Amino acid sequence: MAIRAWVPSAEPFAQLQREMNRLFDSVFGKHFASGRLRSAYVYPATNVRETADAYIVTCEVPGLAMDDLEVYVARDQLTLSGVREDGIPQEGATLHRRERDSGRFSRAINLPGPVQGDATEAALTHGVLTVRIPKAEEAKPKRVQVEVQQ
Amino acid sequence: MTKAIDVDVERDRDLTVPPESYFLPATDVYETEEALVLLAEMPGVAPDGLDVTVEDTVLVIRGDPATAADDEGDVLLKEFEVGPFYRAFQLPADYDTENIEASLGQGVLTLRLPKSERLKPRRIEVKAE
Repeated sequence: MAIRAWVPSAEPFAQLQREMNRLFDSVFGKHFASGRLRSAYVYPATNVRETADAYIVTCEVPGLAMDDLEVYVARDQLTLSGVREDGIPQEGATLHRRERDSGRFSRAINLPGPVQGDATEAALTHGVLTVRIPKAEEAKPKRVQVEVQQ
Repeated sequence: MTKAIDVDVERDRDLTVPPESYFLPATDVYETEEALVLLAEMPGVAPDGLDVTVEDTVLVIRGDPATAADDEGDVLLKEFEVGPFYRAFQLPADYDTENIEASLGQGVLTLRLPKSERLKPRRIEVKAE
């Protein structure tokens, strides 16, 4: 089962641009459309993978330290929240270019099955957060050794 | 067992030529009385995967993510891809490119280009007649 990102209806143009980019890539190939700006319409941009015993969630959170981030697992939902600081001085700075976003964020990701929330591990490396959430025992695939009688 | 062909990446890599496919790092640029500062987001890039070069007035930044391609398991949601970052900036003249300070923390590159003395604001003494 795939997880679908919730698309805020206030941002139809961002979604349209995304769709156009994807169409462009599929027709002309990635190389033609190289040099894309990463414009995540939901923050943080997230990948979710499923292995036999865990869900692995990776998020791009450049500039954030572990202290700036709150990671919660409740039932089968992972919640990430925090505050992004832009690092630009409030006074005495003239802005020439502004592409990074800042401010408070919160994102919830529904996982497709039951998990062991208290065994969740999170690591932050070079601005990429990796959260590993083990599946609940009953959700793991079972392998039973069957004795074959001769 | 076949081995992958060894390629001398360091030698073959010409930094002024962009990689075939790359991402533009989202960048903020601001100016203070002392310097021009660039903040570029390059998530996944470690200091040893980063190259910053200045040739004449062209600044080129390139970063290769240290994080291994996450191909374990089945994909349920994919909102970003892992790949090199590359971007070139035309710098205004009169910046002291010899003394650029670069630091990389939590996937954000900070570049500080000091202004040459001529560009810094200065007070003009007015003499009383």
